Amino acid sequence: MDLAVRLRGVTKRYNRITALAGIDLEIPAGSVYGIVGPNGAGKTTLMRILVGALAPDGGDVQVLGLDPRQERRRVRSQIGYMPQAPVLYEDLTAAENVAFFARGHVLDAVRERVQRSLEFIDLVDRAGDVVRTLSGGMRQRVSLAAALVHQPRVLLLDEPTAGIDPELRHSFWQRFRDLTAHGTTLLISTHQMDEVVHCDRVAILRAGKVLADEPPQRLLTEGRAVVTVWVGETPHRHEMAGYPDELPRILRRWRLDPAVTRIEVEGQTLEDAVLALIEREKAGSDDG
Amino acid sequence: MTASRTAAVAGRVLRQLARDRRFVVLVLVAPLGIVFFTKTLFDAAGTPFFDVTPFAVPFGCFIVHFATFILTALVLVRERTAETMERMFINGYRRLEIITGYLLAYTTLATVVSLLVLTELQLLFDLGYGPGRLASIFLVMWLLAVISMAMGILVSNAARTEGQVIPFIPAIVLPSLIFSGIIVAVDHMPLWAQVLSRISPMYYANEVLQELIAGSGLGGDVASLVMLPAGAVVVLLLATQTLRETR
Repeated sequence: MDLAVRLRGVTKRYNRITALAGIDLEIPAGSVYGIVGPNGAGKTTLMRILVGALAPDGGDVQVLGLDPRQERRRVRSQIGYMPQAPVLYEDLTAAENVAFFARGHVLDAVRERVQRSLEFIDLVDRAGDVVRTLSGGMRQRVSLAAALVHQPRVLLLDEPTAGIDPELRHSFWQRFRDLTAHGTTLLISTHQMDEVVHCDRVAILRAGKVLADEPPQRLLTEGRAVVTVWVGETPHRHEMAGYPDELPRILRRWRLDPAVTRIEVEGQTLEDAVLALIEREKAGSDDG
Repeated sequence: MTASRTAAVAGRVLRQLARDRRFVVLVLVAPLGIVFFTKTLFDAAGTPFFDVTPFAVPFGCFIVHFATFILTALVLVRERTAETMERMFINGYRRLEIITGYLLAYTTLATVVSLLVLTELQLLFDLGYGPGRLASIFLVMWLLAVISMAMGILVSNAARTEGQVIPFIPAIVLPSLIFSGIIVAVDHMPLWAQVLSRISPMYYANEVLQELIAGSGLGGDVASLVMLPAGAVVVLLLATQTLRETR
């Protein structure tokens, strides 16, 4: 398996605060990888270490087989980074911003690339507008265009959908999928649990530790569920952990009894599953 | 370093300056206003026995030094607080390209400020200098502006917020004036002050200017004249080395 990113025992502290407490992660090339966690979990720190803007205190970091600190230039030429806030020059137009950040990579045909990026984010009609006059969602889109204008192999997006409306969020995820179809690896941090389903794999981060590193479907199926079997007007509740395995056992017990009028399966949402995971870890660390 | 990336930074900064008309007007008008008030002060304090000529031109140069130093420091700190500096690095720009690009763009502004201040000095103080002497004074003023910008860039590396730049204003700009020799001749100062004066670009600018005012050409004090671009190169190298890409 080709790895786009590999982290081994990565640590980072800010004075007394531990931002990353020995992170191990492997991100396959061409995948959409989600980093989920509450505020202060270490998501942005992790992103900034990967782009070489922050030096880790310990551990081994590899992006496309290169150390971002030792081979900063080579790494940066192959990555795109979209910071959490749309870091742009407000007094320049959308196109001027994208062109300026593109020229950092000394590209040929900058104008064509800017045009393609703006088409990709569907903002061609506002290309000549000064960023200050654009809405928050539009600025996010310009920021995305600036991150991908040089067609990077790895795209790191720090909470790209924070504060934007559901329609735009949906279109963002469609565009992310388009990018992976062309072989780009996406590392996306978010604290919006419903977005995790779009990822191929997701790492749950809390207090600088990885609590889980799995496909989102697995997180769901590992969660708890309640099956209510109705016999006439009488409900019979069965609580399950890992319902895909347990559900057949419950159904066998009822042997498709003709008296059963309705079966309801109330599964945990991904948000419930992640929160339960975080709560379990919290309880464990409090006990410890 | 590539010329295209340096040009991209310079072009971007100039474009921003062109759009921020209020800022440009302030930058151009403020030094002119200060020179005008200085003239009023000299007129009020003047006697037939007091010759303002040795003070007027160096003081005009000091205003250019003051304005360019503060502006450059503040603008670069703003890049850091807005995180555009970090984004530039991540997008492939290098330290020397950013600094040189800024310097090129602000040199354009400094050239205009220097020309305006010099014209005002010539007219208000009725200096009556010929084109050759005026061109020489302009060169000194311009070189002083360049080293002042380099100092602004260096200072901005030590500050994380615009507020942190403020302590540098009295710490650098006032000694610059006090130890320059404009107010009190450096030879009359204690030894430690004489040593301190040698690290202020304003001292070297004043040395050359006094030669020019006295009627000698730029060859009157070549050593001091050379110290201005040489100092600018040293300060720029220091600024490049202290501009951090990684925290």
